[in-house]
Amino acid sequence: MPAVRGDGMRGLAVFISDIRNCKSKEAEIKRINKELANIRSKFKGDKTLDGYQKKKYVCKLLFIFLLGHDIDFGQIEAVNLLSSNKYTEKQIGYLFISVLISGNSELIQLIVQSIKNDLASRNPVHVSLALQCIANIGSKDMAEAFGQEIPKLLVSGDTLDVVKQSAALCLLRLFRTDPSVIPSGEWTSRIVHLLNDQHMGVVTAAASLIDALVKKNPEEYKGCISLAVSRLSRIVTSSYTDFQDYTYYFVPAPWLSVKLLRLLQNYPPPEDPGVRGRLSECLETILNKAQEPPKSKKIQHSNAKNAVLFEAISLIIHNDSEPNLLVRACNQLGQFLSHRETNLRYLALESMCILATSEFSHEAVKKHQETVINALKTERDVSVRQRAVDLLYAMCDKSNAEEIVLEMLAYLETADYSIREEMVLKVAILAEKYATDYKWYVDVILNLIRLAGDYVSEEVWYRVIQIVINRDDVQGYAAKTVFEALQAQACHENMVKVGGYILGEFGNLIAGDARSSPAVQLQLLHSKFHLCSSMTRALLLSTYVKFVNLFPEIKSHVEEIFVADSNLRSADAELQQRASEYLALSKLTSLDVLATVLEEMPPFPEKESSGLLNLLKKKRPGRVIENPDRLDEHVKKEPRETNGTSGLTLASNTEQEGGSADLLGLGVPSAGNGNGPTTNGAGAVTNNIQKFYCKNNGVLYENDIIQIGVKTECRSNLARLALFYGNKTNHPFMNFQPNVSASPALSLAILLQVKQVDSTVEAGAQFQQMVNVECVNDFDEQPDLNLVYNYNGAPQTVNIKLPISINKFIEPTEMNGEAFFSRWKNLSLPAQESQKIFKAAHPMEATDSTKAKLIGYGFQLLENIDPNPDNYVCAGIIHTRSLQIGCLLRLEPNKQAQIYRLTTRSSREAVSQHISAVLCQQF
Amino acid sequence: MIGGLFCYNHKGEVLISRVFRDDIGRNAVDAFRVNIIHARQQVRSPVTNIARTSFFHIKRSNLWLAAVTKQNVNATMVFEFLLKVVEVMQNYFGKISEENVKNNFVLIYELLDEIVDFGYPQNTDTGVLKTFITQQGVKSVTKEEQAAITSQVTGQIGWRREGIKYRRNELFLDVMEYVNLLMSPQGQVLSAHVAGKILMKSYLSGMPECKFGINDKIAMDSKGKPAEESKTKSAIAIDDCQFHQCVKLSKFESEHAISFIPPDGENELMRYRTTKDISLPFRVIPLVREVGRAKLEVKVVVKSNFKPSLLAQKIEIRIPTPLNTSGVQLICMKGKAKYKASENAIVWKIKRMGGMKESQISAEIELLATDTKKKWTRPPISMNFEVPFAPSGFKVRYLKVFEPKLNYSDHDVIKWVRYIGRSGLYETRC
Repeated sequence: MPAVRGDGMRGLAVFISDIRNCKSKEAEIKRINKELANIRSKFKGDKTLDGYQKKKYVCKLLFIFLLGHDIDFGQIEAVNLLSSNKYTEKQIGYLFISVLISGNSELIQLIVQSIKNDLASRNPVHVSLALQCIANIGSKDMAEAFGQEIPKLLVSGDTLDVVKQSAALCLLRLFRTDPSVIPSGEWTSRIVHLLNDQHMGVVTAAASLIDALVKKNPEEYKGCISLAVSRLSRIVTSSYTDFQDYTYYFVPAPWLSVKLLRLLQNYPPPEDPGVRGRLSECLETILNKAQEPPKSKKIQHSNAKNAVLFEAISLIIHNDSEPNLLVRACNQLGQFLSHRETNLRYLALESMCILATSEFSHEAVKKHQETVINALKTERDVSVRQRAVDLLYAMCDKSNAEEIVLEMLAYLETADYSIREEMVLKVAILAEKYATDYKWYVDVILNLIRLAGDYVSEEVWYRVIQIVINRDDVQGYAAKTVFEALQAQACHENMVKVGGYILGEFGNLIAGDARSSPAVQLQLLHSKFHLCSSMTRALLLSTYVKFVNLFPEIKSHVEEIFVADSNLRSADAELQQRASEYLALSKLTSLDVLATVLEEMPPFPEKESSGLLNLLKKKRPGRVIENPDRLDEHVKKEPRETNGTSGLTLASNTEQEGGSADLLGLGVPSAGNGNGPTTNGAGAVTNNIQKFYCKNNGVLYENDIIQIGVKTECRSNLARLALFYGNKTNHPFMNFQPNVSASPALSLAILLQVKQVDSTVEAGAQFQQMVNVECVNDFDEQPDLNLVYNYNGAPQTVNIKLPISINKFIEPTEMNGEAFFSRWKNLSLPAQESQKIFKAAHPMEATDSTKAKLIGYGFQLLENIDPNPDNYVCAGIIHTRSLQIGCLLRLEPNKQAQIYRLTTRSSREAVSQHISAVLCQQF
Repeated sequence: MIGGLFCYNHKGEVLISRVFRDDIGRNAVDAFRVNIIHARQQVRSPVTNIARTSFFHIKRSNLWLAAVTKQNVNATMVFEFLLKVVEVMQNYFGKISEENVKNNFVLIYELLDEIVDFGYPQNTDTGVLKTFITQQGVKSVTKEEQAAITSQVTGQIGWRREGIKYRRNELFLDVMEYVNLLMSPQGQVLSAHVAGKILMKSYLSGMPECKFGINDKIAMDSKGKPAEESKTKSAIAIDDCQFHQCVKLSKFESEHAISFIPPDGENELMRYRTTKDISLPFRVIPLVREVGRAKLEVKVVVKSNFKPSLLAQKIEIRIPTPLNTSGVQLICMKGKAKYKASENAIVWKIKRMGGMKESQISAEIELLATDTKKKWTRPPISMNFEVPFAPSGFKVRYLKVFEPKLNYSDHDVIKWVRYIGRSGLYETRC
């Protein structure tokens, strides 16, 4: 390289310093414009530029691009640079291309050719540059163009190690864009054997590649297990002096170890006992090493060491087969729990959460309960505390539930607001799951409401009530406890709700005590009444009316409350209604009726508190560590001991989907109630379009997810359809788009006017859409309803017809026999008549239903005018905007042959035919 | 109510910071710097809301001037105030620049204290301010002088002090107009308006009462002198106008007469806008021909369209070039033309040009092939000039001075009137 010019590119340096010295944005833009114009004139000029100049200008363009300006030229020059033999020029060319050239550029062919040349080059630096460029662009085109060559390069014997390294990583990049780039079969074993390579760099790069390949196709790459294990054991057992370049702060090849350990987590524990033994040995060695005193005080040393250790522990947890390793891992983590380093404590807690789910180490984890609880109390970092809560939740079982719940309750008082709601749910779930004594359960939940009432969601207190109602033995205790709880000066609204409900049901159980006599109970509840929201007030009103039944002696007090203006004339319609109805109920009805109406609530259907669990999952998607269901085993050992009578230990998860809203049918319109998507027959779809010829209202269409109802009102040539869309699921419908359309022919005959609707239908909700129809002319088709929406992420479509047919515009006409037959004769042209003879589909004796159908169709049934009393004779006028079409009909049954003869006459041929075609399917 | 006023240099360093109200914290200074001066994208809106605090800013050369408030203020009032601050500063120390601001910051704080009180703008009239804030340091003021200043500033005619005496009573009027135009390539006027202002320099003794007459259509009609009207030039329709505070608006409302006691020295008497019957001083005729993908031929003809006796000056025509221009060859008959790469435009300058003349430039632009499919948007050709007449047709009909107390009459006053027409945004699409 000539010394004068050097590598410095003075022009570039001057340009950059100019830009840096610009005082304002405008000045900068001016400078850039000037430079761009200069470069353009240079590129356009007749004089050919040498490599140095090209490199300089391409560099400037790159710099301008990185400043945020668009660059739309210079690509050719950059591509030219690729064919240079000088490293710096080639490098700049590749840099420009990987930064600036988009996949669909016209130059891609040229570039691909240049890269091909470089790949075939003998100079390893050129090959590496080419590989880098491929990986940086990493497009599908690149994958197609080089999918053949790179694997060859990777496994070929005479490629240098550095190149192999780049090739492995490049291949990984291409594999991520296009998994088909690596052909299965021939290459598999050769790629896997890269793990045996001499060069650690190659092994590290290959480990990443193999990890990605294994994730795609575990079976094919199974061979890598033993290789990985032996490689791992070589690293682990070696002294740190063995790998000169690959020892990081006295830890031998930490990155490679971590990658290998991760690779092994893709497979179950190795089956071959030899391999298995070696792996355990390795893991043990890693655990042993953790005990050794650190070789350096530097943070990097401990970081690298711990990285390997944590990855090893995850592998141990993943394998979940060696109890002693699990226990050792657990002990190791236990040490970290009290480590000075916050990150270590966090990681230890996180790993322990997973360990707690393994049956082998569960006991071992429990040993650290003290420490974890301590962490909860003393830890300064909120995220660590959160992990501690997670771990407590995960390690909880029958033996320690009481203690853990107690600790969590204690912590709740000081807990961060952000995690309180989650904690409340966890406490509620644990208390319910491991409750042996329901008194304890009730205590816990009431405590929960007392301590963190704001964070107790509806479902939590629904659940308490549900359990109390189902369990006779706790009812008295519950009533007593809530009564005491309510005596506090300030108690949370949720407490009032629970108290109101429970006293309303079981207040009589504690009424014997003079301290909690009926009057006192009523007074206590009513003292909270004014502070509550209207929903709670409504609940309390129900409680009061239940008191009327339970304690007739305080009836007058209760009635006073109902009569109070604030209730009987409440602005809230619900309160007003309840007050007036309850008042009437207590005043008018006899005791018997009262007792029947206000009877104790029947037991709720037994189910697991899946509602709460779902709620918890919803709160932290992907982050919920399961509390392992060891209860299942417990139940298996003592079959059906508790099941049946207990609402809590019900083990089978039959009605998981039941949703949370229907835990207690407390007047909340339930989404999944009985006819939810799971209980309903799979894929049952009802489409009732045929029935709508003879009726106006009803369910038009129904499947698992959605129900469409129709209500039709007609007046002369106008009709109005109310379409009701009901969401039967627990998920909202998104992008809900009902589209009503008519075929071209039909749109001439009727005018449709459709109201717009919201694009979202909430879970369990129903709403209506109005469709106005005007009949212009007679028609025989029906408009289409095309419904598109997203349910649970999946697009759904429903295509049905709307029940609008010509008969909706028939006005029934009354006339006597004479008039009928004279008109009948007037319409005697062959085209005006349509006759059909058909077999009866329904019993012919049911004349009432036949009549109902004819009337429902729109006709006036003219009785006693036909000589044959069995015959049905009908008349009607079809109203359209342009004209009125008279329409007469005779239906003659032949009971012996079980056939009908249907004759329709009208002034228009198409109408007669349409009516008879439709009606012949109805009888 | 303005909460505070900050002045930054182009780097965002604070030069002047004055907080008038407690609701503006120190962090507001940084908020503006971070969110507006150093914003990733250029901030276009002059009003920005950051954390319920509104920032109103203007930029002068490389300085940012920002007013801050937490209240719901009248935004136009704030901008009017900011412009006034700039005007006051210019009157005191000339060009606004970082250096000038740094050299005069004591003066600026003094001025700010005078023109704003607890966030409410006060008297911003330079003439008045100069009577008691001088650049020569603190002037010792006698009791009488102080009393005179107080009575003047708080009195009915706050803009003029009594006892002014000149040997020669002179009055200068400059009618300054800015013509704005957007024209289609075919020569169709898409939009045009004139924004004009009347600058007055008065050197008159005593408390003279002046009366000012213009050829405003309404004023002329209300006079009801059809005979005279036919003789003079036709009147013009003024769309809207606004006056200096010295003009007695009640008289303008009732009689359409502009009468006032002028402030001493230089002042803007009136601002107005017209949109009808504008005589456009120049016509630009562009001709663009694309020769293949690599070449563009541009020919632009400029025609002057006013009396041949008049002479336009400082003519500059700016022809935008495509973004992929790699070379330009220019031939022009008159003036000098140059391709300015930093601005992506050809700039053609002509020093002087008489009325009813025509000149042309032709350019060959070489283009470089690019990979973008986007077509060049062809921005309009813009033009700058100065002509010695009012393109709106505005005329000063008379200006009479009455000073009842002192013994000089209207005839003794030397009056000068000058018309200047300048280009605003004068563009022709090509």
